[in-house]
Parts: sequence; C-alpha cells; structure tokens
Amino acid sequence: MKDFRIERDARGDVQVIRLTGSLDMYSFPRLETQINTLFQENYYAVLLDCRDLDYIGSAGLGALIGFAKQAREKGGDVKLLNVPERIFKIIELLGFTKVLQVHNTEASALASFAKG
Amino acid sequence: MTETLKGISVGLVNQEVHVRVVGRGTFQNGQPLRRYALEMIDRGVQQFIVDLGGCEGMDSTFLGVLAGMGLKLSQNGRTGQVRVASVGQRNLELLETLGLDRLFRLDQPDGKNLRYEPPPGAVFQRLPDSDLTQLNKPVDKSDTADLMLEAHDNLIRTDQRNLAKFKDLTSFLREKVDKRGGEGHKDS
Repeated sequence: MKDFRIERDARGDVQVIRLTGSLDMYSFPRLETQINTLFQENYYAVLLDCRDLDYIGSAGLGALIGFAKQAREKGGDVKLLNVPERIFKIIELLGFTKVLQVHNTEASALASFAKG
Repeated sequence: MTETLKGISVGLVNQEVHVRVVGRGTFQNGQPLRRYALEMIDRGVQQFIVDLGGCEGMDSTFLGVLAGMGLKLSQNGRTGQVRVASVGQRNLELLETLGLDRLFRLDQPDGKNLRYEPPPGAVFQRLPDSDLTQLNKPVDKSDTADLMLEAHDNLIRTDQRNLAKFKDLTSFLREKVDKRGGEGHKDS
C-alpha cells in the first residue's frame, strides 16, 4: 500500500490536488484540511487528480459531495480527474457521478471550470 | 490453528461468534457480515469477538455494520456486546474517532495490544463474497445504498458527533433510497 500523499499545483484559477495512495478514514482528514485551506484562501475551483489513488472509502466520497456543495455556493466546484477504473465503478455504482463531475483529461476538466 | 483466509471468516464456539477480518473491511464486504450477524443475534447469540489482527483498514460503512451489531446486542433487553481484539494503533484511532470505543469492549488494557487467539477447536469458515480480491459478481446498487445508509445512521446513533461528519453522505443516500422507493424499486 502506497503512503497517502497530497500535492498541490495550480492551473490558472483552478487548484489541482494530486492524490496518491489510499483515501480512507485515516488519511481523509489530511485532504479535508487541504481543501478547507483552499476555501479559506478563496479558491473554490478544485480539481482532484486521482490517477495514483489506490482506494477511496465511503466516508471520503460522502465528504467530497459536501465540499462540492460548499464550492458551488461560492461559484466554484470540486471535480475529479483521471479516476482509476475500479474506483470509477464504485463512484458510478453509488450514484456519485450524478453529483460529482468526473473528467478523463485535464483539458476537459479545466474547460468545464472555464464554462462555469 | 486454522488457516488464515483473506476476507471475513466466522466461527461459532460456545455461543460466541468469532469474526476474523483479514484485508480490508469495506462496504463491499460489510453486507455478508451484517446478514450473518443478524441471523446469529436472532438465534440468541449475545457475544461477538472481532479479531482485527489481520485487518488492513476499515471504511465507515464497515465500521457502521459493526456498530449496528453492537447496538442490536444492547437493545430490547439484550445485554450482549461486541468485543474487538488485536485492534492495532491505526484501527484504534478509527474506532476512537467515531466514538465506537465506547460501544465496543476493546482488548487493549493499559495501552497494550493483546494478540487474540481463538479458542481451541474453533473452526472458521469464510463468509461468501467477503474476499475483496475475489469479488467477481457486480455489487447490487440498491443493496449497497441501503447498507451504507443504515451503517452511517448506526454511527450517528452511536455518537451524535458523527452527524457532522456524515450528514452530506446520509442525506445523499436517503434521497436516493427514498426516490427508489417512490419509483417502485426501478433501480434494483
């Protein structure tokens, strides 16, 4: 199991957070802190790059809905990028794709933020 | 000593159910445990011992299933309980974060994590569909939403502080479950 890591980068006004390892109840508070920091800095366009994510737990997914809701209230959003197939299947199964946007390319994700 | 199987294995010895979790406990293998536990509780079993020695981690749904067992064992005049053994530091933190350390009896006296040994003669059998590495049939969408909702409601019932953590998830799931009910289970 890879250690959970968070790397922050920016593409214009969009904050890109690259996640590595397992996003479980143990590691989730670190992402929560990171996203809350972004919100405090008035960054509400957040893209979570999941290409190196091994696992995401149910609580983590649920909390992402809450973050997306908060971001939308401020004109932004929290979206997912490069979700591995096995994780995508879970997200889709649970119906989370209806409330969380998932993109396969950074270009399409950035374009969707630009459209608002 | 019986062979350690990946997944969730159970054994009934002297009216006590021994549960061994090897690998991850998640919403994907919480349902077989929930069904088995409910059946055993209905048959009058009051003591469950959950061995987390081989458990690499649990998601909130799985923890909510364990909470549901603990709650059911302590209601309607029952005096049973869930005992959690070989907890480990990481899983202990999870249990404490959700307030489950107050619902379960933890085998961790004086900060020492005692290694659990099943009673002599215990024969474990793996619950079907509990080894995540061997899951080959699609998980049922409606069943999963129901399980997740019930599990998180259990966590909130156990400790009201969990409401803030899971309110977004439970309201999303409740809406989904209610909508399905209104549509006559079209989704299932």
